Amino acid sequence: MPLVSARRTLAILRKEFRHIRRDLRLLLLVTVSPALLLLTLSNIFAFDVQQVDIAVWNLDRSPVSRQYVAALTADGDFYVEAQAASYADIDRWLMSGRVDIGLVIPRQFGADLQAGHPVEVQAILDGTEPLAANQTAFALRQRTMAFAEQFSAEPSPAGGGLEVRSEVWYNRSLESLLSMVPGLVAIVLCMPTLALALALTREKETGSFEGLIATPVRGSEYLVGKLIAYVGSGLASALLVWLVAVLYFRVPFRGSFPVYLLLAAIYLMASMGFSLIIANFVRTQQTAMFLVLVVFFIPSFFIAGLITPVETNTLGSRLVAYSLPATHFIAISRGVFLKGLGLTSLELKILPLLAMGAGGLLISLMLFRKRLR
Amino acid sequence: MLTRIWNLVWKEVIQFTRDRVMTTFIFLLPLVQLVLLAQASGQRIGDLRVAILDMDHSAATRQIVARLDNREELTVRTFVDDEEELRDLLDRGTADLGVIIPEGLSEELSDPARTAQVQIVVDGSNSIAASIALGAASEALASFGQARMEERGLTVTAPIDLRTVTYYNPTQNLLHFSIPAQVGFITYQITLAVASLGLARERELGTLEQLIVTPLSRLEVVVGKAIPALGIGAANFLLVMAVTVYYFQIPLRGSFLLLFGITLLFILAEIGWGVLISAISRTQQQAILLVFILALLDMTFSGYMVPVKNLPLALQWIAQVVPMYHYLNVIRAVMLQGATLATLWPRALALAGLGLAILSVAIRGVSQRLD
Repeated sequence: MPLVSARRTLAILRKEFRHIRRDLRLLLLVTVSPALLLLTLSNIFAFDVQQVDIAVWNLDRSPVSRQYVAALTADGDFYVEAQAASYADIDRWLMSGRVDIGLVIPRQFGADLQAGHPVEVQAILDGTEPLAANQTAFALRQRTMAFAEQFSAEPSPAGGGLEVRSEVWYNRSLESLLSMVPGLVAIVLCMPTLALALALTREKETGSFEGLIATPVRGSEYLVGKLIAYVGSGLASALLVWLVAVLYFRVPFRGSFPVYLLLAAIYLMASMGFSLIIANFVRTQQTAMFLVLVVFFIPSFFIAGLITPVETNTLGSRLVAYSLPATHFIAISRGVFLKGLGLTSLELKILPLLAMGAGGLLISLMLFRKRLR
Repeated sequence: MLTRIWNLVWKEVIQFTRDRVMTTFIFLLPLVQLVLLAQASGQRIGDLRVAILDMDHSAATRQIVARLDNREELTVRTFVDDEEELRDLLDRGTADLGVIIPEGLSEELSDPARTAQVQIVVDGSNSIAASIALGAASEALASFGQARMEERGLTVTAPIDLRTVTYYNPTQNLLHFSIPAQVGFITYQITLAVASLGLARERELGTLEQLIVTPLSRLEVVVGKAIPALGIGAANFLLVMAVTVYYFQIPLRGSFLLLFGITLLFILAEIGWGVLISAISRTQQQAILLVFILALLDMTFSGYMVPVKNLPLALQWIAQVVPMYHYLNVIRAVMLQGATLATLWPRALALAGLGLAILSVAIRGVSQRLD
């Protein structure tokens, strides 16, 4: 007798699709929500600073210091929100969020500068947001250097220096959006995976599972049917997510579309393998949700290479990262979108996913049959 | 009325404690999250992998490699023979950055009439790693260039020296930024998860009918369901705060009581969202997926990762009605800046107002749904 009968698997598959189709809200949640999430989530990584409000404490009040402030604010990115008269002013405004940075221009700033003496300007940053503070300081430093050039004692020597040219591959202007959107594809595609874990526990919780045990459907057929139904709806959402990335965010898609879909299917299988195992151990949807959150979703967000490269983590968290499907798919998605990679350059990322998918299915089949007896 | 509510609360508590796995996870989840977050952002990003394409084979190359390797952010891993090999490494993600040292570099460096050139290529597919690697490599090479100039007796000093001072977090420790936000986010998740499943679960299992035939009024049902959620949310907050202050050593410069009071306002507002989700979903599956979506949206609008100011203007307006946006502001201000009610009262008022609005919409939603 074959392990899996195609006819009975198909029956489960039909039942599952009917479930999803009849529950319109579930249909929307499984297929459309990843695309919607991608639309808003990409804003989490809007690292490019838009407008910086500064408080200026100008102790110099010379024409040169006014020129300096004007040079800082010339392009509109920096805006003088307030004139401070003490450190207490700056402290108060930083705290209430009125300004992002305080700038203290010392006495004799103009006179010293024109006399060729080096001067010191102080910038007060808000350390509650170090990432933003660093970027602001970087922008401020560049503007200051550009302004200071005219007071340089001697023009830098024509030759003998070292010129450093840099080139950014795959993402020419180094936009965070172009790198984050393909990475987030892996995160938002966790939604169908969560839905599968819930669908499996739901039958136990509501008691309809008893009814299924009484039918001739075998455990393997039940699981495979469910898996195919949810991988299928996951693929529909992978398509929508792709459309949002390419049409709305204008992320260049340099790879091949069939390859993207194939790899998305493999990723969904791998992560749903985890769902199958989790669902085996829990009885209620509430618990299933917490488990998926703890072992799956949150680690995928924080340590799977979306923000910092996995290779720079500590050994322990690197091992956890490699056992998460999202780690491999974040690399795959960025590779296919930005680098235009095909199957052959990605085999080291694809093989673990295939192993996880097959392993998850096998383990859950073994565990499952025991429960049916 | 009080006895009736009390009975409902007691029923919830019994139900809650009987599900051992669930109770374990409610208190385990926050700790796992905090540790993972500390792992991810605690240490500075370091040891990005550098590949060198050396066509000069001179002492200058060795000095450049040493300067690159000395940077905390970089580690020199491989030497490649041609540009194709370099591209392959970057394609596969086995190197983050490449430095191309052209033939004849050392001769050019010692000839005052010529300018030597070194090229950096960086994998832009992870923009955060790329900008850190690029910055570190450029600085290393610039310092190498400057050292060479100084050897020849040329000194270059900048006319304006910009000194930076960082208030509230002088070492710019990323944990001081991310852990307080995570405390807010954990309190949020747990409260929302517990509150949103309360009614959805009873409806799905059919026990809601039984609740309706009891003498409990709609309002009493909502209050009875809200009290356990408030208790669990507050307990979780205290737990993660203790870990934050005693284990992660994040300073708590302001008043703890003030923070706790505003936290309760925040929890109430989130219970409002939870009850609303509970009222509009027919199954737990729907409720859970909705909570997920709401949580990810709130993460975007709350300034969790980047300041709300970086968002498009329309989204900045939406942020004003997101309780988490106000709360993250409060928790960061109280913990790091030692802020008091004098600067925080607009936030506290906003939280109270939003909580009231959401709760009243939620209660109306429930009473329509129960009939």
